[in-house]
Amino acid sequence: MHHHSPIERVLRGIALLIVVLFFMFPIFWILLMSLQTNETILRSPPSIVFEPTLSNYAAIIAGRLDSNVASMGIDFMSNLMNSVILSVGSVALALVLGVPAAYAFARHKFRGSEDIAFTLLSFRFAPPLLVLLPLTLYFQQIGLADTYFGLIWVYQLICLPLILWIVRGYFEDISPDVEHAYRIAGHSWFSTFRRISLPLAAPGIAAAALLAFIFAWNNFIFALVLASADKQPVTVGALAFVTASGIQYGQIAAAVVLSITPTLALALYAQRYLVEGLSLGAVKG
Amino acid sequence: MTDTTPAVPARRRLRVSSKLFPYLLSLPALLVCIGILIPFFTAVWYSLQKYRLSQPWNRGMNWGDNYLNFLTDSSFWNTLQVSLTYAFLTVGLELLLGLGIALLLQKRTRLNNFISIMLLMPLMTAPALAALMFKLMTNPNFGILSYFAQVLGFADMRWASDPSTALLTVVLVDIWVYTPFIMILLLAGLRSLPTQPFEAAALDGVPRLQQFWRITLPMLMPYVLTAALFRLLDSIQQFDIIYAMTQGGPGDQLMVFQVEAYLNFFQSTNVGRSAALLLVLWAITFFLSNLFIKNWLRLRERARGEV
Amino acid sequence: MSIRIENLTKRFKADSVLDDVSFEVPAGETLVLFGPSGAGKTVLLRCIAGAVEADEGSVWLNGKDATDLPPEDRGLGMAFQNFALFPHMSAEQNIASPLEARRIPKAGIASGVRRVAELLKIDHVLDHAPRELSNGQKQRTALARALVAAPDLLLLDDPLRNVDAKLRFEMRLELPRLLADRGATVIYVTQDYKEAMALGQTVAVLDGGRIAQIGTPEDIYLRPASRAISRLFGDPTINLLDVTPEVDERGVFVSLSGHRVPLSPGYEEAVGRSAVLGLRPEAVLFAETGFPVQIEAETPLNEKTITLTTTARGREVFVSRPAGAPGPSGDKAYLTVEGAATLLFDKATGARIEPASGADEVAA
Repeated sequence: MHHHSPIERVLRGIALLIVVLFFMFPIFWILLMSLQTNETILRSPPSIVFEPTLSNYAAIIAGRLDSNVASMGIDFMSNLMNSVILSVGSVALALVLGVPAAYAFARHKFRGSEDIAFTLLSFRFAPPLLVLLPLTLYFQQIGLADTYFGLIWVYQLICLPLILWIVRGYFEDISPDVEHAYRIAGHSWFSTFRRISLPLAAPGIAAAALLAFIFAWNNFIFALVLASADKQPVTVGALAFVTASGIQYGQIAAAVVLSITPTLALALYAQRYLVEGLSLGAVKG
Repeated sequence: MTDTTPAVPARRRLRVSSKLFPYLLSLPALLVCIGILIPFFTAVWYSLQKYRLSQPWNRGMNWGDNYLNFLTDSSFWNTLQVSLTYAFLTVGLELLLGLGIALLLQKRTRLNNFISIMLLMPLMTAPALAALMFKLMTNPNFGILSYFAQVLGFADMRWASDPSTALLTVVLVDIWVYTPFIMILLLAGLRSLPTQPFEAAALDGVPRLQQFWRITLPMLMPYVLTAALFRLLDSIQQFDIIYAMTQGGPGDQLMVFQVEAYLNFFQSTNVGRSAALLLVLWAITFFLSNLFIKNWLRLRERARGEV
Repeated sequence: MSIRIENLTKRFKADSVLDDVSFEVPAGETLVLFGPSGAGKTVLLRCIAGAVEADEGSVWLNGKDATDLPPEDRGLGMAFQNFALFPHMSAEQNIASPLEARRIPKAGIASGVRRVAELLKIDHVLDHAPRELSNGQKQRTALARALVAAPDLLLLDDPLRNVDAKLRFEMRLELPRLLADRGATVIYVTQDYKEAMALGQTVAVLDGGRIAQIGTPEDIYLRPASRAISRLFGDPTINLLDVTPEVDERGVFVSLSGHRVPLSPGYEEAVGRSAVLGLRPEAVLFAETGFPVQIEAETPLNEKTITLTTTARGREVFVSRPAGAPGPSGDKAYLTVEGAATLLFDKATGARIEPASGADEVAA
């Protein structure tokens, strides 16, 4: 559209370079740190020339931290496993609950449908502790405290609105005539839902599921409040790890890298849908 | 003509069942809704009580006392001030940065698209882990940011542990995580703007700076507003970054609403005050979220219309 | 399959889209549902198909109340105006869907699809996805899907609307034969009066959600129930002139620019009333004498020539004459009217004033 002068082009280039450096550098630096021993990490001035080692990762995977003072067990792998269980479980539950509801909201403007959708949405924006603190007391009473199911149920606070609002938009985009045509052809309601509506909304469902997974994985506060040590996901686990391991900086960095890799990989894979998902369908990517 | 008397009862039954059907589909979601509303009202109930977990014998209604006490409670005013400062500082800076970056990346070149995807990575990092990363980077012994500060002449920069720089440090983390969010929304907005006004302006020889103020910014405003409100809603409730970085310290420097409420509940076990604090925060977010949802719905209608 | 619609009413918010619609189509006959856009044709069709639930009234299929029957149990075929093809299935899978629902074995499905595809000349694109088909192919695929299971009742919602003119012309010739071969009851929706005249044994005119007239195409053309209906049929549209019929010793007449235009006998009742004279453009002839007009414009088409003229009082009159027939010379001419082809409407109500003879009663 515009013609830029050479000076402007150079300035733009520099600005972009600074932007990329600022946003990429922390990830890059943590990655480098995770490949170093404590000795090279503590070197001053810092240098990017070092002999890379996988010992930090090995220690985390083995679950043993050996320092020159003592040797201690650390169970970061179980934190990773918990993250997987909680995120996959929450997304699965949110899909089971959310997709049929999204369809009902998209196709049948029944009384109260908007109210339910908006209640869910408004709690997406309400302070999570408001719901969490009373829940800790309830959970102790009904025995859901410190169970995966209890946590997964609370995670619906993040996952369900996301699934509901994104998938609803995709269902709304399907022409009702296409569904009518399939039913007139002689197929039942359910078979129409399964063979027409679901496949046509599949990209949206996949995108919403990926995003819900990322948000569930990245969640911190729910697990901090509700999960005890053996149910903690990586976000909470990594923090505890820092306190426990003290000065094992290389291992901490490796733990951080292991914790953020799944979401970064998924985000890159699903980047096409991110804009739409992040804005709950308000902005088309 | 055959007899046309319809079988009324059978018909009515069919119609009723087809009306009930959508309710049936959304019933699970409705149950979750109720499951959220119950603790919410419990929290309202708690906020009207004198209730300490450590003194269960001393529990009782005190109606509005928890709220009235806030008026004379300097730590409440501190919380309010810190929360608002944090929210407006982060959102303001992120808006400026995000808009700037979006403008830099506006053209659909391969490099720009690649960069905009790379910039998503901070946003996909868990905020708590991002705080941890910055904690490592600002470590006085080996942190790279500490080293840079030292090179630049701030030898004694103590980042989050120093009351004078603590806010700056957590704001920096927030900017690192969330600027890409605003950037990506505004970039999508920028790229969806119609081109005719710009072509017309270029033909008329309108200078580019003026084009920005007169055309780009007004047309982008709905996106800016949505992004700003969305972030404001999140930022005023920020917990992860601050808790993971300093747990509200040093002192009460970073005691934002949710951190204060969390510590009230779990450390001082003052359930009543904690719930009242959260309800004050809820009132603020409720006001903001109504504004936001209105904006967001309008934008959503438009986005759907474009398909 | 015979179909009967009784007092069907459908409202969206406060507007009624269908207002007390009733009609009947005997088994094996074709009814053309004709009307301007927004008349409620599509909604009516959807009510019959079961895709839209009516607020009041009932739908009877083969003498059985089908009002609350779900669409899949009505056993009919429908082609949509927007085709409504399943975008994620090939043309073949699209066409096969009604056969699958009827649990026909695989081999039977394949041969059934092939037969109808050959008939509609789309057998070479069966493996294409809908987005790879041309509009004409999409339309044929949609039609094939409606036909493949040989339903007793076919609902065709303006199937030629979204195809190009050439294909529309071909299909207009092809469709009646195709439908007649099937022996199915057909309800065919269109807003093109030529299509309506080409296809229907019976035409129902829907206007503003009400059935305005039902009859043969000829009936509706020659004896429209109202001024509004007379305007819907015919190209160019009918000339409508405000008149007040008079009577003298030679009979009832109207006066156009001082010229006496006789009306057919039987209009005595209309004398002195405010009326509207309807003149089909082809019933107006250039002549040596008659009422004087000014020639404004001439449009020669292939088979006819349309002339726009204005009377002394500035009222427009279209004249249509067969190609080759002598036209006016110069910019002034005289027009006469074929007396039998004139229509008279009440100015206030718009209803047609029927001649008293009763010879040409409009079929209700």
